Amino acid sequence: MLPSYASASSPKMMPRHQAGAYSNGYPRAKSDTYSISPHRFQPRTSPPALRRRRQLLVRLTIVLIITTLFGFFLWPGASILPVLSFGLLSSGEDFQLETVRYYDLSNVQGTARGWEREERILLCAPLRDAESHLRMFFSHLRNFTYPHHLIDLAFLVSDSKDRTLPLLSELLEELQADSDPKQPFGEISIIEKDFGQKVNQDVESRHGFAAQASRRKLMAQARNWLLSAALRPYHSWVYWRDVDVETAPFTILEDLMRHNKDVIVPNVWRPLPDWLGGEQPYDLNSWQESETALALADTLDEDAVIVEGYAEYATWRPHLAYLRDPYGDPDMEMDIDGVGGVSILAKAKVFRSGVHFPAFSFEKHAETEGFGKMAKRMQFSVVGLPHYTIWHLYEPSVDDIRHMEEMEAERIARENEEKERLERMNKIKDQFADPNGQWEKDKTDIQNEAMREKANEEKAAKEREAEQKAATEDTKPAVAAGPVQADKEATKPQEAVQESTPKSTPESTPESKQV
Amino acid sequence: MGPVRSFRRTNPLTVIVGVVLCVVIFVFLFSPSSSETAAAQFRKASAASNPLSPPTSPFRKPNEKSNGNRVPPPVVHYHMNNLSSTSDPVGNRETILILTPLARFYKEYWDNLLKLTYPHELITLAFIIPKNREGNAATAALQEQITKTQKTGPEKKRFASIIIERQDFDPPLASQSEAERHKMENQKARRAAMSRARNSLLFTTLGPSTSWVLWLDSDIVETPPTLIQDLAAHDKAIIVPNCFQRYEDQKTKQVMERPYDFNSWQDSDTAQRLGSQMGPDDILLEGYADMATYRALMAYMADDHGDPHMEVPLDGVGGTALLVKAEVHRDGAMFPPFPFYHLIETEGFAKMAKRLGWSATGLPNYKVYHYNE
Repeated sequence: MLPSYASASSPKMMPRHQAGAYSNGYPRAKSDTYSISPHRFQPRTSPPALRRRRQLLVRLTIVLIITTLFGFFLWPGASILPVLSFGLLSSGEDFQLETVRYYDLSNVQGTARGWEREERILLCAPLRDAESHLRMFFSHLRNFTYPHHLIDLAFLVSDSKDRTLPLLSELLEELQADSDPKQPFGEISIIEKDFGQKVNQDVESRHGFAAQASRRKLMAQARNWLLSAALRPYHSWVYWRDVDVETAPFTILEDLMRHNKDVIVPNVWRPLPDWLGGEQPYDLNSWQESETALALADTLDEDAVIVEGYAEYATWRPHLAYLRDPYGDPDMEMDIDGVGGVSILAKAKVFRSGVHFPAFSFEKHAETEGFGKMAKRMQFSVVGLPHYTIWHLYEPSVDDIRHMEEMEAERIARENEEKERLERMNKIKDQFADPNGQWEKDKTDIQNEAMREKANEEKAAKEREAEQKAATEDTKPAVAAGPVQADKEATKPQEAVQESTPKSTPESTPESKQV
Repeated sequence: MGPVRSFRRTNPLTVIVGVVLCVVIFVFLFSPSSSETAAAQFRKASAASNPLSPPTSPFRKPNEKSNGNRVPPPVVHYHMNNLSSTSDPVGNRETILILTPLARFYKEYWDNLLKLTYPHELITLAFIIPKNREGNAATAALQEQITKTQKTGPEKKRFASIIIERQDFDPPLASQSEAERHKMENQKARRAAMSRARNSLLFTTLGPSTSWVLWLDSDIVETPPTLIQDLAAHDKAIIVPNCFQRYEDQKTKQVMERPYDFNSWQDSDTAQRLGSQMGPDDILLEGYADMATYRALMAYMADDHGDPHMEVPLDGVGGTALLVKAEVHRDGAMFPPFPFYHLIETEGFAKMAKRLGWSATGLPNYKVYHYNE
């Protein structure tokens, strides 16, 4: 048996912590008043501080999330940033927007090896009704060896009535989206501006003398608008190029740049059809000033414009175009005063310092010629390359077209004549029976016969000879009988042929006799 | 204590009030004021996508995620047929380019710019600063003010775009002190260099969307705040206010004003005759006693109680403050750095504009004020 104290149920032991027991020696009252008994569970009236804080945070987060969602629902485009920064910093867009630009113009003066210094070129092309030339021009663009991303393109489309603009945008989009990373160009601007030009762009009205002055002033205005809208502080070079250049070296930009001149132009010729001599100088606006021209200029009124290549103004100037030698040194330079606008490479600093294409009579010149004059006036170097040639597209003039039409008509007439003659001959042949076939047949027959006869005769002659030889050796009568018999047999078929031929072709007798 | 606190916290009324307060704060934070929205939207819309864009508009900074691959710039169309410069530039949202050849920076000049009431999101500022010690100091001072305005200033005061260009001027202008600057023999070289600076600034910043060009010298420290609107309201190709200078009279100790810019004038026969006798590289200058041209100077046409809207035709203009329609410059009118009809810089500009068919107008009673050294 266990000792009595080990058993809790032992009536002798006092239960120490029993409810209702007299733990402190006093009997517990039945009322639920204050008690400090540690074993008694007392339900807490409030949660502990820690849990309280956690609950608060959870609630706050929920409220915040709901409010944010609500906010996004109300203003879907709003940014969270100003809320987080309490709007103190600034509004959202300004974080990405840059409004201040700093440029050092002494870095963009233009050097001889611009492609190594990553110098940017602005390529300007004024366009009007140029749809037909655009694809050719874009193939030139793609062929440029100067790094494309350093070339910015600027086009001015003015007063165009054809599809120049849509085609241009389409080709440019295509170019910029090219999969070859070397193809896309730099900044591309298409500037649409109409000047209300009255002058037509067809060859005849374009080059007529009377229209020249006002036409060139309008062209100058277009060029100035294009340049002033597209020139940026980061450009080192500006290249003016007409879209109707047909053939030019891919390296033309580097080739011209290497000379390190302020303004430089190549020689511009155009190919011609053979009947016009094969080729011809095209751009007569690149020239050196002459005394005659200066004297002429003094006699003219303030607004007059001297234009080259017209009999009205005989200036006796040395033209770049006429000095070309196809085998000359392409690097040879020549100082010039007026420049043509087909392909001009100029340092951007020339345009920055104010040189432009005068749309008024500047020293009696306008547009590109006035540009050359003004550049000279500001002490810039203006140079032409007489033996470095690019080829302008040949557009036949009205006279040429007329001439070509005449030539075409002549050719057609000649062809017709030839055809008629042939037809006549055929007709004659068809109308009369052609005896030639029969003749040939007869001829060969006769020839054969003659050959055979000849062969027989030879044979007979040989036999006769042999017989004669034998006769001289043997008995004479035996010999005499043989050859006569043989002769008779041999001649028989020949006689038969001769008899038959005269029946069919009586005319053949003289021929057969000849044989 | 405990039960009481818990009662307060769980009170639904408090929760509702809190939520409502939160929403109100959010509404307040999220929605900017209406005028700011319009300006911000305009800024956002006019922003270009790459740094090669015309400098007259802000651009979005290139994304750094492109990891070195060049993204070809887009093909951008500019409809210059829609570009206008009318007598109501604010109504037509016409952009203005303020051009300043800067030699010294005056805080007053900047403060005056900030006071202009023309919508600042339509204003682009462009400066050209010589690359010398003085220029560096001016650039630093300018950039400090720019940062203050563009980054931390109120959105309403921020300009659309600011362009700073630095350039070596061909004959370095040793001293820009007022006396030295105005010596006659120095004038031709100084003004030729000035012309090149002006042209460089003009033709690189003009861009395809500018309607007006305001030439404002860096020492113009006081103009009416409505300067642009007032000048544009006249709807003239070239318009010049009268440039005066405030000074303190030595005797009376009162602030007086005197004419400052003498380059705005109407031509005279005497000047024409003088010009015809000159060599092709000589220039006519105004305001020098040994070259009396007898031109009618706008500086002396001012009348203290005259009508500020009074217009006079001009043959030569000064460049201290000069509002030009952008198409005049686009047609080719620039500041000749060579004697053009014996005129140079701003005076030559007026002549060239005239040759292109534009004329200049002066406002003798509308004044702007030059800094007094």
